[in-house]
Amino acid sequence: MDVHLKGLTMAFDGHETASLFKRGSAPSKVIAVNNFSATIKSGEMVSLLGPSGCGKSTTLMLLAGLYRPTSGQIIFGGEDVTRIDAEKRGIGMVFQNYALYPHLTVRKNILFPLKMKKVPKAEANKKMEEMARLVQIEHLLDRKPGQLSGGQQQRVAIARALVKEPKLLLLDEPLSNLDARLRLEMREEIRRIQLKVGITAVFVTHDQEEAMSISDRIMLMRDGILQQECHPQEMYRKPVNIFAAEFIGSPPINMLDRDGQRVGVRPEHFTLSQEQDFFTGKISHLETIGRDTLIRVQSAENETVRTFVDGNTTLKIDDTCHLSVKPENIHRFNPATGERVGDA
Amino acid sequence: MDGTRPTLLGTLKAYIYLLPALLVLGTFSIYPLFRSLFMAFTTVHRRTLEVEEVGLHNFRFLMDDPRFALALRNTFTFVLGVVPVAILISLGIAVLLNQKIRGATFFRSIFFLPFVTSTIAIAMVWNWIFHERHGLLNYFLGFVGVDPRPWIDHPDHAMTALIIMSIWSRLGFNIIILLAGMQTIDKQLYLAAKVDGASAWHRFKTVTVPLLSPSIFFLTVMGVIGSFRVFGEIYALFPGGATAGPANSALTVVYYVFQRFWDDRNFGLATAAALVLFVIILCFTLLQFWVGKKLVHYK
Amino acid sequence: MSTKAVIGRVVIYLILAMGALIMLVPFVWMLSTSLQTAHQVNIRPPIWIPIPAQWGNYSRILDFAPHFPRSFVNNLVVASIGTILELTTAILAAFAFSRLRFWGRDILFYILLATMMVPGEIMLIPNFLTIVRFEWLDTYRALIMPWAASILSIFLLRQFFLAIPEQLSYAAKVDGCRDFRFLWSIMVPLARPALVTIALLAVISSWNAFMWPLIVTNSPSMRTLPLALALFRGEAGTFFELLMAASVVVVLPMIILFIFMQKHIVAGVSRSGLKG
Repeated sequence: MDVHLKGLTMAFDGHETASLFKRGSAPSKVIAVNNFSATIKSGEMVSLLGPSGCGKSTTLMLLAGLYRPTSGQIIFGGEDVTRIDAEKRGIGMVFQNYALYPHLTVRKNILFPLKMKKVPKAEANKKMEEMARLVQIEHLLDRKPGQLSGGQQQRVAIARALVKEPKLLLLDEPLSNLDARLRLEMREEIRRIQLKVGITAVFVTHDQEEAMSISDRIMLMRDGILQQECHPQEMYRKPVNIFAAEFIGSPPINMLDRDGQRVGVRPEHFTLSQEQDFFTGKISHLETIGRDTLIRVQSAENETVRTFVDGNTTLKIDDTCHLSVKPENIHRFNPATGERVGDA
Repeated sequence: MDGTRPTLLGTLKAYIYLLPALLVLGTFSIYPLFRSLFMAFTTVHRRTLEVEEVGLHNFRFLMDDPRFALALRNTFTFVLGVVPVAILISLGIAVLLNQKIRGATFFRSIFFLPFVTSTIAIAMVWNWIFHERHGLLNYFLGFVGVDPRPWIDHPDHAMTALIIMSIWSRLGFNIIILLAGMQTIDKQLYLAAKVDGASAWHRFKTVTVPLLSPSIFFLTVMGVIGSFRVFGEIYALFPGGATAGPANSALTVVYYVFQRFWDDRNFGLATAAALVLFVIILCFTLLQFWVGKKLVHYK
Repeated sequence: MSTKAVIGRVVIYLILAMGALIMLVPFVWMLSTSLQTAHQVNIRPPIWIPIPAQWGNYSRILDFAPHFPRSFVNNLVVASIGTILELTTAILAAFAFSRLRFWGRDILFYILLATMMVPGEIMLIPNFLTIVRFEWLDTYRALIMPWAASILSIFLLRQFFLAIPEQLSYAAKVDGCRDFRFLWSIMVPLARPALVTIALLAVISSWNAFMWPLIVTNSPSMRTLPLALALFRGEAGTFFELLMAASVVVVLPMIILFIFMQKHIVAGVSRSGLKG
């Protein structure tokens, strides 16, 4: 099922209690999502990426029907669902804190959406067991959520979201509450399950690495506005503005001023050279992480860049080094607007 | 909560949820408030309830009524006699219970018993304990050489008897609140104070009391409000019914309200007296908040 | 432990034991007197354990107050129906205040909070006149309806509901669960500790209520227990063994309730204090 968002806008009023005591002051309006248009294709996993407060979660809530947009349309397949309540949209949703019903067993948690749909018992049980097998929690069915680890709870949450066979799966920062190792494991799990079920999915995250690794497409947001929408690798290779360039990549892109432009070079695109070229400076910091060594180089003009060198390097702190970069790996931006310039 | 605007449908739905509560509260909590404001300024016929007089006459009558003056005096005596003493005793007991005492829960429960007990039954048994000839109190006082005295039947002692009983029945509530307050005090503060060489008394003075001040403040407000409203205890402690204690010696404001309302069927006057009580409570509460702001240490 | 510490402990226990004794004596004396003969009642030194116990005192209550069992039933009826109504109205209203968005929500909530500060005595007389107007005098309705909703309960339950993560209601909505169903199958089970506490406090205050039953009932058959007890003295005179027996009947159910549910009752009282 394709999902179309057309000019979606969501404005929040200031907090109601605050305004009660501040009669007369102008009502504070926050535009959380601003004229957002995009299409999510059937079977695709799309990431909504951006810093906190950028409107990505609000967009998800709008997709779920938990918020009503101020203006704009949401279309599922051919049907306009803008005015349809969450209860009737037939979507599955996974929350950051799992939002499992604490007083119900895992079994009953998964059965809950089917009970709401009044699915006959035998059929519901069959679906529940299938789903439990898919997310690998068959052995936990009679436990309460409080007795499960974070990763297990997330699996239950996914099973509950998928059991009613929704046409759209929404995931709201599903990995943020997990520790680093589990996060990696669950990331792969979510992708495996999504591909296996073949469901259209929207994945909200503030972690660019997560978005890069899991999704078919990334929608990058900032201050309620969609910045760039493309394949992960393309966002990495061709950021449309300074924000996109800086948000994607770890360690972050090096930004410098050159010829009246803002210029960005990713750390891995620098190479050591023998003579003075693109950048020259003294090594101010050096750390070896596994295979590579990360160095920070500071120029006489006090500009700093980070880059990787071979882990077996003999470079030391305070050594002077020259860095060069291939022209196609230099990203150029208009310093006033932040927009990308200079592409053919 | 999200900042989306309430919708007409959502509002309608919410008021359906609220309807049962609002019906009850509207009829028995909010409407009577306004009605009493009105009634205090009228005199109505005791049967037909037709308004016979409008004005400040009820309040003027109260000002001149020596019984009302007595009721006010007695009420203040009662409040001053009960609230500080009850808090001091409870504070002492709560501190002891907080010393990792074995059976602390058991002791706490015993002190709390009067809270769940009918005040009428409590007053009944205390009436028997205060009995001049056969009462337990005079019997025990005999051991320490105190002559038996007519606790219930003599105006000089009636208020003392009422105060003793009320302190006894309030301890449990105070102790629970204070213990709950003590649970919130960081144990490390005591360790720190100990390391700094503070004695037990010093720790009590510099750590427990300041950090407990919100609880103590709460108890003062609740105690004052509750004491201003004392009624059932008086009704049951002093048999006879017609007067509140011998020669009205335990007449409090609420009892005065009850007498004017129940015995005299003077609805307007009774309401006016209740309104005066409310204003006094309000002033007291505001005063306490004002004083509390300076003394209470909030985290 | 040093000697000084041991002495300290002993002193603490002695003080607490003294205090506990002072708290218990009235209850023990009540029970003891209720089992004595009219003669034993006046003997000094007092008899603490009367042998044989005069259980007959309890049936003799009926000689003076034949309606006493009826009052017991009245208390059961008023306390149970009243509590169920109070819980129901509180659940519905607390849900609206904590989970629904509607016009006037905050204003209404502040009005109710302000009303909570007003002492009940102000409402006594207007409410009495309302009961007269409804022709409810001397009925269960008069005893129950004014207490069928409590602002304090609504407030406490709202606080509890607010602590339940909002994601849970989102999850339920997405799962196809409507508000009313969500309230009863998710919120209410989760709020059980709060509901138990509210119910217990409601039962206790209903059971012990005195002033209101005094003014809205006339006939002996409609009296509640505290009222029947207060008026029993007029009927039995100064037979202390009977007065105490009647007192035990009034007190005992709440003490039993307290013994079994004290954790919840204490928790409820502590919470109301910490809020203040």
